Amino acid sequence: MRERLFNNKLLLVILLAALAILPFVTDSKFLLSMMITVFIMAVYGMSYDLLLGYTGIVSFGHAIFFGVGAYSVGILLAKTGDKGLLWLAVGLAIVLSIVLGILVGVLSLRVKDVYFSMVTLAVGELLFIIAEKWNTLTGGNDGLTYIPVPKIFHDRLAFYYIALLFLAVMYLFLRRVVSSPLGRTLQAIRENEHRVRSLGYNVLQYKVASIVISGVVATLAGAMWALFQRYINTSVLGLDRTIDALLMTIIGGSGTLIGAVFGSGVITFVHDWLSSLSGVSPIFERYMMFFGIIYIIIVIWFPKGIIGTIRDKWMSLRHSRRS
Amino acid sequence: MALFLSLLLNGLALGMLIFLIAVGLSLIFGLMGVLNFAHGAIFAWGAYVGWMVYTSTGSFLLAILAGTAAGFVIGWVMERVFIRAFYGNHVAQILLTLGLMIVMTEGIKAIWGPNILGFDPPTWLQGTVPILGELFPIYRIFVIGVGLLVLIGVHLLLTRTKYGIIIRAGVQDPEMVQALGINVKQVFSLVFAFGAALASFGAVVAGPMFGSIVPEIGMTHQLNAFIVVVIGGTGNFIGAAVGALLVGLTQTFMAYYLPEAAVAVNVALMALVLILRPQGLFGARR
Amino acid sequence: MKTLLQVDNLQTFIGQYHILQGVNLDVKEGRVTVILGRNGAGKTTTLRSIMGLTPPREGSITYEGESIHGQSTHVIAKKGIGYVPEDQGVFADLTVEENMKIAVRKADDATRERQELLLELFPDLKIAWKRKGGNLSGGQKQMLSIARAFVNDNRLLLIDEPSKGLAPIVVEKVMEAILELKKRTTIVLVEQNFLMASGIGDDVFIIDDGRTVHQDTMEAFKSNDELKKKYLGVGI
Repeated sequence: MRERLFNNKLLLVILLAALAILPFVTDSKFLLSMMITVFIMAVYGMSYDLLLGYTGIVSFGHAIFFGVGAYSVGILLAKTGDKGLLWLAVGLAIVLSIVLGILVGVLSLRVKDVYFSMVTLAVGELLFIIAEKWNTLTGGNDGLTYIPVPKIFHDRLAFYYIALLFLAVMYLFLRRVVSSPLGRTLQAIRENEHRVRSLGYNVLQYKVASIVISGVVATLAGAMWALFQRYINTSVLGLDRTIDALLMTIIGGSGTLIGAVFGSGVITFVHDWLSSLSGVSPIFERYMMFFGIIYIIIVIWFPKGIIGTIRDKWMSLRHSRRS
Repeated sequence: MALFLSLLLNGLALGMLIFLIAVGLSLIFGLMGVLNFAHGAIFAWGAYVGWMVYTSTGSFLLAILAGTAAGFVIGWVMERVFIRAFYGNHVAQILLTLGLMIVMTEGIKAIWGPNILGFDPPTWLQGTVPILGELFPIYRIFVIGVGLLVLIGVHLLLTRTKYGIIIRAGVQDPEMVQALGINVKQVFSLVFAFGAALASFGAVVAGPMFGSIVPEIGMTHQLNAFIVVVIGGTGNFIGAAVGALLVGLTQTFMAYYLPEAAVAVNVALMALVLILRPQGLFGARR
Repeated sequence: MKTLLQVDNLQTFIGQYHILQGVNLDVKEGRVTVILGRNGAGKTTTLRSIMGLTPPREGSITYEGESIHGQSTHVIAKKGIGYVPEDQGVFADLTVEENMKIAVRKADDATRERQELLLELFPDLKIAWKRKGGNLSGGQKQMLSIARAFVNDNRLLLIDEPSKGLAPIVVEKVMEAILELKKRTTIVLVEQNFLMASGIGDDVFIIDDGRTVHQDTMEAFKSNDELKKKYLGVGI
């Protein structure tokens, strides 16, 4: 066990080091941008994994939190033109997402877990429509352009390292959460909710805590996104954004955290590759169909996703070798 | 008065459509515990198959038949191939239906293109009729009439036939139904297919009412249907009917008087029900 | 006496919990077999295992000389086993009439006769015929559940704690009805209420910690104070 832990950590450190060296190996601005996208989306995906993989509840409105983060930063900075308000904006976004998380969680989970799926979908759509209609605040469909951000975020290379740091910190934070007593209780709830309840735990409270933590992390990812793009529109709140979270988590492997990072990479790069093929055949414009099919195959045959399946195979291989 | 009447009839027509989608969703959810996220995509397939048959044959009745049949077959296959293997694992089921939703929606775009397609009512349903001195589109009256017929039909099916009684019993306690010597799983496939058929039937009828169809057509309606399920209580027929009419009417009236808040009101309605009566307006306490 | 239902070394898990660890039953035709035991001893799980609702992992269940282990619940039920669960399993949204209708497998004369008999035994059901199951009293639910189990030509009834939560006067009524049904069918009865059980039981099986620990005739068991004290506690 100790050895495995060490190996995992070692792998992660190697990965981190490789990513840190990357800008010295290539000077492709495009690649750096892609990697920044991967990092931010990976944080968003990991936050979803806390819900799906560790608590066992399915949200159909995770974009709510991503959007709240992006819009809080976008609106406050764009409307005031004051870059100094960044921290205020982030603080506001966190407060908003906590309130929303508690509201949605308490409302729906009192009845049944699936109600959470329905209510998150409804609230997500509601926020999406509000963002579309409230032109004066959000810029509607056209969105907010030229969001003023502190100078350091203009520098691609600096942003690359900030995003990498963001990913590393969020990973460590979520790792901390899932191995804490809270995280272990959440996993026990996922396995056997009835038993946890009969042991005297307030299951609802734990689930809501999970929603709030997951929501805050997703909100931070959304804020980073707005800083990176310096432009946002309603797509940050759309159903497609929620589906992104699902695809990343499922394809990478739910209940692993690191799976979402992997999933984010796969989706970002494969998406780009398939889009570039759309000149070859119009079927490549339907790249979502491709992701949908992969997703279904994984849900049916590899419920642990790519990372989880590889890890299981590797473990059983070592196991059989030893005995 | 005339305005009120016009809004009322529009609201009823919309409510009927929402009912056709919600009733299947609600029964499937109540009976099997499956929240079918692909229900809206089945609706969209019904609309497109109906549109295709309508534009190629010119017969609206054939279009309705074909669209409904398509929904039935898709629902049947979906339950048999994908859902059946995962009973008892709600998370896997819900995730699967989401994947099917993506693939089916993209499938429509691949076959019929991503753009909006016009869908006119057949000539025999065009025009207007005077009601209390107001001119009203015949097609909306047709939608209300058809919706009412289906509503009564499903009600009779659920209350007067043994199959209906089994379905209602299964919604409450599938284990006990099984212990009485009835193979519940067989009923599951049929209800799944039947619910899908109702949705796609509604889709073909809805096409000319809105005048056009897009690949994402199912999503808005699915959202409304979810809200109806929460408001009415899961697996509850009366709840689905009353909830659908309620949502249809508020949507229509709000869209006229306060268009900014049309969606918000339905979500607020749902939240209110969840606070005051979490099992739904007509749901029984278990 | 012919054995109708034979259960050997039943092992059942619920999740990771080993609930039944060796239950044996020998149910003779035409008799009332009572299963006694403490709360949580595994009595309900035994009945559910026989019905296939929580399928046993090991052991054999033979009904009328044929193994029913591993069969689907609806197949087991159709072989002629009626089940009255602990919570009665009355469909709350269905009327009494519909609750009966859903149970009927073959609407022939014999079934109609049995239904007549049941309504005579339970006149309450006749009065409440059009009422919803959810609006019945606890006793009425129990009666309906028993009626539902016997309306078919079932040769074996599994009844789980019919006295639970009922007023003594209602318990008496239910007991009388079971005595009447005893003339026509074989009954397995799970009971905590020893007074009731001793009045109608012929054979006794005691289950403790998921195992059959004692079997006896009711006559012998009733008169053996030491055994009663050992398995049922003092004061009975």
